[in-house]
Amino acid sequence: MNLILEHHVHARTNCDCVVDRRDFLRVAAAAGAAAGMMSWTDAICLSAEDLRKRGMACILLWMGGGPSQFETFSPKPGHENGGETKAISTAVSGIQIADSLPKCAAAMNDIAIIRSMTSKEGSHPRATFLLHHGYLPMGGVKFPTLGSHVAQQLSTPGFDLPSFVRIGGRRGDAGGAGFLGVDYDPFILQNPEAKPENTQPATRDERYARRMKMLEQVEANFGKVEGTDLVADHQKLIKKSSKMILSSKMEAFDLGRESDKMRDAYGRTRFGAGCLLARRLVEAGVTFVEVNQDGWDTHDNNFERVKTNNGTIDQPMAQLITDLRQRGMLEKTLVIWMGEFGRTPRINARGGRDHYPRAFNVALAGGGIRGGQVIGETDAGGQDVTKRPVAVSDLFRTIYTTLGINADHENMSRIGRPIKIVDGGQLIHELLG
Amino acid sequence: MKLLSRCRVGLVAIGLLASAFAVGSVLGKTNTSKPNAERLAIKQVDQAARQVDELIAAEVFQPETKLAPRIDDATYLRRVWLDIVGDIPTPEHVTAFVLDPVKDKRERVVNELLDKPQYGQNWARYWRDVILSRRLEDRAQLVSNALVADLTEMLNANDSWDKIASEFITATGDIRENGATAILAAQDARTDETAAEMSRIFLGIQIQCCQCHNHPYDHWKREQFHELAAFFPRMALRPVQSPTRRTFELISDDRPEIPGRANPNAQNRRGKPEHYMPDLKDPAAKGKKMQPKFFLTSATLPFGTPDSERRGTVAEWMTANPWFATALVNRMWGELLGEGFYQPIDDIGPDRKASAPKAVAALSRNFAGSGYDVKWLIRTICATEAYQRESRPRREADGTPFVANVAQPLRSDQLFNAILTAIDVDEPKESANRRGRPPEAGKPYGQNATVRQGFEVAFGYDPSDPRETVVSSIPQALALMNGVRINLAVRAIGKETMLGRQMDEIKDNGALVEELYLRTLSREPTEAEVNSALAYCKETKNRTAVFEDLLWALLNSSEFSHRR
Repeated sequence: MNLILEHHVHARTNCDCVVDRRDFLRVAAAAGAAAGMMSWTDAICLSAEDLRKRGMACILLWMGGGPSQFETFSPKPGHENGGETKAISTAVSGIQIADSLPKCAAAMNDIAIIRSMTSKEGSHPRATFLLHHGYLPMGGVKFPTLGSHVAQQLSTPGFDLPSFVRIGGRRGDAGGAGFLGVDYDPFILQNPEAKPENTQPATRDERYARRMKMLEQVEANFGKVEGTDLVADHQKLIKKSSKMILSSKMEAFDLGRESDKMRDAYGRTRFGAGCLLARRLVEAGVTFVEVNQDGWDTHDNNFERVKTNNGTIDQPMAQLITDLRQRGMLEKTLVIWMGEFGRTPRINARGGRDHYPRAFNVALAGGGIRGGQVIGETDAGGQDVTKRPVAVSDLFRTIYTTLGINADHENMSRIGRPIKIVDGGQLIHELLG
Repeated sequence: MKLLSRCRVGLVAIGLLASAFAVGSVLGKTNTSKPNAERLAIKQVDQAARQVDELIAAEVFQPETKLAPRIDDATYLRRVWLDIVGDIPTPEHVTAFVLDPVKDKRERVVNELLDKPQYGQNWARYWRDVILSRRLEDRAQLVSNALVADLTEMLNANDSWDKIASEFITATGDIRENGATAILAAQDARTDETAAEMSRIFLGIQIQCCQCHNHPYDHWKREQFHELAAFFPRMALRPVQSPTRRTFELISDDRPEIPGRANPNAQNRRGKPEHYMPDLKDPAAKGKKMQPKFFLTSATLPFGTPDSERRGTVAEWMTANPWFATALVNRMWGELLGEGFYQPIDDIGPDRKASAPKAVAALSRNFAGSGYDVKWLIRTICATEAYQRESRPRREADGTPFVANVAQPLRSDQLFNAILTAIDVDEPKESANRRGRPPEAGKPYGQNATVRQGFEVAFGYDPSDPRETVVSSIPQALALMNGVRINLAVRAIGKETMLGRQMDEIKDNGALVEELYLRTLSREPTEAEVNSALAYCKETKNRTAVFEDLLWALLNSSEFSHRR
């Protein structure tokens, strides 16, 4: 609670001259947003919504490049567009997926597939941005990405570890906290099997403590008059960083603590390690973990390449869902499987498929959503959505609502413009439990 | 001597008359002009500086307003070094400057710094951050090296700001060859986005809010935004077909439109002969054809005007407008004083209120009168009393502006330079990567990244963001605290490292403390600081460890990573 109030005060006193109406709105809203959307009286009367929100987490499995829906969750074996891909039955009668995802097929009771995703963005950067932020890029606004929004809304202030962790992938279009501020930026690590960068204290114990003390003393002069606020913030940051790297919770990053059996169950690949790390982090209290797997941009040699990719993701993804279920975490952890678009029904001259946002698929599990179902349909050849089209804003509204977040909540951008968490969109009621 | 000063007066008088004409013709193009006699531009740096101080005092200060005192020489030196060349002075520089008895040494050192090639490089990097922070696609970073190289040259040659702006507005060519294509590359040569950025960067007017709807607070209308966009539809950013180089080309595209349905996913490889404002009620329709019209003067161009004339003309009109001068004045003032006359720094215009309107108007007038001389502007700002005040924490919303300067977080390049200077190490040569190719232009990730680029990724920020929102993050703190390079740098290793050398030369602990403070913070330690450091020396026999830790603390301190 203290940190929320501190944040509240911080937001107010760091404002510019309140000259006109717009500034006033910006100050008031910023203070309101910083205080965590509730006054302290609200916080005391815990609503049911609030209770549900508690402990919710999200794992995003990002398939970079645009995974082919025909070769993953929406095969079309009866049509020439389906190519050589065979379909297999899953644990749910009536649902078939590509044959190179057998373990996911077995876990289908927990998985919901949306086959009618549709968007207009076919360029990697714009589409990656859109499917991470729910908005298209706009020069004047630094939109927060999905993970940052979720971290800001759900994380516990003062928690030892960062509330948003991104494993692998590239920065840029996947985004960061934008105008929400660095507290909600992703903590990025490339290799889930190694300790995160710079988290190994350079010196030990006594010497570390001496460095901290010396730093405090060296900063004291600047902090007395000229940079009082800067030094205070810096000391807070140093202590927070120290707290993190010295915390026993950092063990969550250590995959060596898992049994060989568990590591084998997730598969000894980088993606497998990433999924296992995601489970450990959520278990330790991290709110949002993004795990990246690239290589889906199959403009040529589509069938072989996607089969290989599926070989990489099938086991870890199924194991993640199973593991979460076994630990009683599945209800509170939403797992999202998606990429920036799908791939063309028509197979090109190089045996590949090109970008295709018009009809593609997304898969979800956990978080209390109803698994074991398919939402939406495309025509026989997978060209167009024939039933129940789902826009990106629909998907995002549903994701936030599942996590207990008010999708219409407004944050203030840097130039005092109110920006909703999601702009429009309809809830996908079929998903909600 | 007297002869020279009389000549100087004569020249000043001629200069004043000439600039009066210049200012007059500039003002004549706007709708709000005043009699020329009241608005003569001041060319003398110290006079112009005094005028700004007087106007600020008159407009903003009360008799009882407490002003921060003037900074001492050492602080001044570090401040102007960082502000002008983006680096810190060495202990030799500091000592020489502090001991120099000459009266005009502050003015003199500013002039010396402006003559260094690092001045152009520092500010070219600043503009690179301003422009590329807003890039729509990562591939725009390909322009980064050319941008810094070309702009460094222009700034060191002291090309006038209107000339530089015109180059950036009208540029064409390979983006890896012509750095002036940077804004166009960053905005992917898209019509709407280019118009918005040109207005933001060169006029300080954020008109893009009316892209989709009338501005909620300002009086700009949607039509006006799209009329501005109509100056920029005939451009395209095309990949260059080359087996060896990855690059793009900004081309003028005056070809007629191909009839039929355009591919909505096309990567903007064609310009459009005219710009159409989308119909909000029917987004799939073509929309309304917009005639190029400059929103500040209502001057127009006919349909069918070719690209070079469209962009050439809008460049002329923009650079002639008073907001052009004010935009740069406000930005430079904001960077050097920690707070602009208008805040945010790139959000000015007739609907915004400046904290000291007469001061910014006068300084803008004088800047225009100088022929948009950027070095003149920096000289003038550095000569003001306002600039030379001690820093204080950023004021509250209801506080008085400019009673003090405000400490600024260093940009990634400045921080990198400062660390190298402090530990007395040359910038690592950019070696070829494993595949034998030199690091790619502006590429921030992976094996191709240089150490400087690594710093950019870790510590870079958008300079147009309100500075108080630029806060350090955990990864940044961890990089400085535990990063391998930093920890190696603070070690005392024989004669290989700076600390090793200093420890060998300076046997007196107190003198060594002084040396380290001078090298990092460019000042002498206070007595209390020396004593607290010496206390650690008494506690332990390991002299080396204590001084390594002190150097570590100095490099990690806020004072080091900020410009006081």
